[in-house]
Amino acid sequence: MEGKRTARLMVYILLAIVLMMMDQRGHYVPRLRSAMELAFEPVFHLVGWPGAALQSLDQHTRARRGLIAENQHLSQQLLKTAGSVQTQASLQKENQRLRDLLEATQGRAYNFRFAEMKRVDLDPFAHKVWIDRGVEEGVFIGQAVIDGLGIVGQVEDVHRHFATVRLISDPDHALPVQINRTGLRTVAYGTGQTSYLLMPNVPLQADVSPGDRIVTSGLGDRFPPGFPVGEVERVERDGGETFAMVYMRPFAALDRGREVLLIESQLGSAPLPAEQP
Amino acid sequence: MKPSRESRSLIFLTVVSAILLTLLPAPEVLVPFKPYWVALVVVYWSLETHDVISMGLAFLIGLVLDALSGSLMGLHALSLIVMVFLVQRFRSRLRFFPPWQQALSVLALLVNDRIILIWIAVLLGEPLPTWKHWLPPLVGMALWPWLFLFLDRIRARMRRRKP
Repeated sequence: MEGKRTARLMVYILLAIVLMMMDQRGHYVPRLRSAMELAFEPVFHLVGWPGAALQSLDQHTRARRGLIAENQHLSQQLLKTAGSVQTQASLQKENQRLRDLLEATQGRAYNFRFAEMKRVDLDPFAHKVWIDRGVEEGVFIGQAVIDGLGIVGQVEDVHRHFATVRLISDPDHALPVQINRTGLRTVAYGTGQTSYLLMPNVPLQADVSPGDRIVTSGLGDRFPPGFPVGEVERVERDGGETFAMVYMRPFAALDRGREVLLIESQLGSAPLPAEQP
Repeated sequence: MKPSRESRSLIFLTVVSAILLTLLPAPEVLVPFKPYWVALVVVYWSLETHDVISMGLAFLIGLVLDALSGSLMGLHALSLIVMVFLVQRFRSRLRFFPPWQQALSVLALLVNDRIILIWIAVLLGEPLPTWKHWLPPLVGMALWPWLFLFLDRIRARMRRRKP
């Protein structure tokens, strides 16, 4: 009896380990998971409901004075952004003119689609969030996801009315970036922590210093170029190593964001501009 | 003790509520304290009923939890079968422990589970978790006597209603 039970335990443990390995490597199991997620969709709605209800209750009961103050604050903010957007429009035109002169590609403009993260607590090791838009709303696999501050991640799996997003903090995630000030291109890897990303492939003598802005480089065609990712926090230069270790603090609220934007296909899509040395 | 249909549906209901409790978003401050609800419920049932929660069922519950919580497929399945195995192995002893001693055994089970989790995290190349990783087992231990009494009460009431 005892021996039989131990044998059963061993079989199950082996099965679990094989499943985990297959899931990690992406063999078959992700499809099974996708099917299960689809079957469990109502559960996500059910679980997300109390959070949504609380929020709407909060909105209903907030005092009038608070609303007025918030409204004022928001309209001021709107005015400020409207100003910079106006100058941006003229800059865009100028940029386009210059590009035309150089016979380079057209500028890029993007459409965004609003989505909300589902109020569901996931496993902290998962580095994944759920959003409430799916195939029906035009979400596709690999789509870049941002919030108001920077890159959040990319869509990994799409269902009818929801999708899963892999965060840039996942240790398996690599993000092609460049340093805005110098144009140096490199790759930012997730670390498993939402508080920092790591760029291990920066040459020792490269010009990088804390406070440098990091933006997407657009290489790899997953993430469009020029979107803010984070800020260099610390640079470790060890003479014995070939590369400097650059730690970056991501701008996006990876662990607490609620509203996100999906980047739609670019409007003026065209081949990448020729590389300038 | 043969499980009646009531206790089967009660098991189903409690396991489902444990999964929902796990997914239910907690306020930011409470997140590190979130106990491993499903494990607590599974331990209770495999302690109280004989072989209703078999290892196969525990595996299945684990898979459902994996799919829902976004963890690696098989992670919670592994953790729950190990737990059920240990409870079944020491069941005759655990059942007659006084509550505080039982709570300590539950703590040992949960800590053992966390160690397995760390092992998997290391294999996956995840960073080692911080001290907060060890909070849920403590919360689980503190909750255990109350959960035990609560579930016992429900079962007693159901038995009285339908003899």
